[in-house]
Amino acid sequence: MVNDPIIQVENLSKLYRLGTIGTGSLRQDVQRWWYQAILRKEDPFFKISRDKESSADFLWALRDINFEIKEGEAFAIIGRNGAGKSTLLKILSKVIRPTQGTVRGRGRINSLLEIGTGFHDELTGRENIYLNGHFLGMTRSEIKSKFDEIVAFSGVSQFIDTPVKRYSSGMYVRLAFAVAAHLEPDILIVDEVLAVGDAEFQKKCLGKMNDASKKEGRTILFVSHNMQAVNNLCQRAMLLQKGSMLKIGAADKVVNHYLSGIQQHLLSQQWTNIETAPGNATVRVTSVKLIPDLEDTLRPIDIRTQLTLTFEFQNYEEGINLVTGIHLFTQSSECIFDVSSKPQAYSKGLIQGTCVIPGNFLNDGSYYISIIFVKDTTTEVFYLSECIAFDVEDYRENTNWYGKWMGHVRPNFPVILTPLPSFS
Amino acid sequence: MRWQWEIKPESAWFEWNWKEIWNYRHLLLRLIRRDFLTQYQQTLLGPAWVVIQPLVTVLLYVIIFDRVVGISTNETPPTLFYLSGIIIWNLFAESFSGTVYTFTANAPLFAKVYFPRLIIPFSVTASHIIRFFIQFLLFIGFYVYNLYTGTVSFNLLYSLVAVPLAILVSAGLGLGAGLALSVFLAKYRDLTNLIQLTVRLLMFATPIIYPLSIVPDKIKAIMVYNPLVPVIEFFRVAFLGEGTTSGIQLAYSAASVIVIFFIGSILFNKMGSKLIDVV
Repeated sequence: MVNDPIIQVENLSKLYRLGTIGTGSLRQDVQRWWYQAILRKEDPFFKISRDKESSADFLWALRDINFEIKEGEAFAIIGRNGAGKSTLLKILSKVIRPTQGTVRGRGRINSLLEIGTGFHDELTGRENIYLNGHFLGMTRSEIKSKFDEIVAFSGVSQFIDTPVKRYSSGMYVRLAFAVAAHLEPDILIVDEVLAVGDAEFQKKCLGKMNDASKKEGRTILFVSHNMQAVNNLCQRAMLLQKGSMLKIGAADKVVNHYLSGIQQHLLSQQWTNIETAPGNATVRVTSVKLIPDLEDTLRPIDIRTQLTLTFEFQNYEEGINLVTGIHLFTQSSECIFDVSSKPQAYSKGLIQGTCVIPGNFLNDGSYYISIIFVKDTTTEVFYLSECIAFDVEDYRENTNWYGKWMGHVRPNFPVILTPLPSFS
Repeated sequence: MRWQWEIKPESAWFEWNWKEIWNYRHLLLRLIRRDFLTQYQQTLLGPAWVVIQPLVTVLLYVIIFDRVVGISTNETPPTLFYLSGIIIWNLFAESFSGTVYTFTANAPLFAKVYFPRLIIPFSVTASHIIRFFIQFLLFIGFYVYNLYTGTVSFNLLYSLVAVPLAILVSAGLGLGAGLALSVFLAKYRDLTNLIQLTVRLLMFATPIIYPLSIVPDKIKAIMVYNPLVPVIEFFRVAFLGEGTTSGIQLAYSAASVIVIFFIGSILFNKMGSKLIDVV
């Protein structure tokens, strides 16, 4: 099935002026107006900022973005904070205007940059459903025909004639989402802000989006930090970096590219000069390496990946009774484990150590490793701190839930349910 | 296959998307409803405040300007004289201050969802027109009593013109000027103080607490350029049988308001779409 493009974005750029708006901005405004409207010349400030890439007063939030989205496609926009994702969504939602370029499209577009837009605390749930629905562009008859469904979906039917300021925050969010979930646009734009809230809510959100995309054939534009959700929901994705498009294509490829690019790995370190290598008169470490057991080395480490830590060090003390310990920490410096070698006597020379961290053990997150060298099981000889840093990505099967999985470890112990025979 | 919509860096100077505004009419009505529902939430007297406010103002004016200062209202009863001025002035002043803060007051909303921005000032002005009608009923109440006691004379033909004209000019001027200034106010907050001051001063330059007839001719010649002056005077001619105005002045009022409204909405449309970046 070859679908026509439903949105076409051409040379889209957005320039922001930084700093505060004060008397200076009035002078600049007058000057710009004079140049553009009277002298018919190019905007002087625009020129400056184009000449100097990093002009301090201006910021290109987006720069020369080109892409097309086909009808019925679920398309993700990914990137780090400040990459321009939200700016792009805002332009597509017509909330802000681009500085240059055009967007063309067909059909009705609805954007959910937040839920509950225009909710008024003093008004009842009923009034707010109408108000919010109208803000999102629904007609009165549309809301009327779906009103009961919305109320049922939100689960607040008892309180529908109570002002929403008396609602619990959960009820409030559910009602707001219920309205959003009953929109029937041709193009739905969803910002990741929707992914806040509890796991139950997230699940509902993503499930609804999945339905909209796969069952109802709507075009969806989705911004998220949740790569699993992107992989599951979207066919195609675009990676933004500092306002420019870095990569566009099949969602899994773009996601992998993004993940491998952002990982702050410090997966191996080597010291060729033994004199300056970390250590002291007793030991000097020459290399540390973390080798993920992956067929495709470009793929990120995920929770299933087995990791092998190898390190080499020079021992200068004959007959030393040595123990080496591996400390694994989370990013917030909580120690997950401390494993060590058996105490044993070693002669002078190069020693290699290995330690295998099995797959299906660590939960997703960022970790670092430190290595400790201990003499006679009591005296610390040397501590090589934070010599390896790595990220573990999430991986899930057979679930529609993409909330944060709890715990520091995520072992694969089976949990078995056995139906018991009943004697009634 | 052809495109149905386009987003460009600038909107054209004369981009009138009335069809879109029409499509959002339900939102407009909802917003008017919201205004009334929320304004009187948790108040004891509720919507009665719509009439209490002008009543108290009239009472004050009668005491201060009529009894203490002794400004003449000519032959007309001071209550009706002040009330007629107050309700028309209120319509202008409230529409103006309601629309001039459109961007600053609605910035969080405008940053999250698109709808024709004009809906907001339109709904604010519409609410004030409805309030005007309620206050006009109050005026009619006093008026009927005075008519009964024979202190005023009624001109049906004039009043049929005067009421719609008063609404058109005062609401139109408030809305038009509000739209035009809102785009500047969004960017340069200094204007807030200036605007409040100007509105207050303008009230004294409008014949609300005094009849135009007691103003010296030289000043009068300047005052009639205020589009509100002829309609207030004409309203008083129609209901109270006294006032100084002419057909030309009234035509000028209506025409200038239409021009101001168009300038205001063009500026609002043109600049408004880019203001979210700076509010």
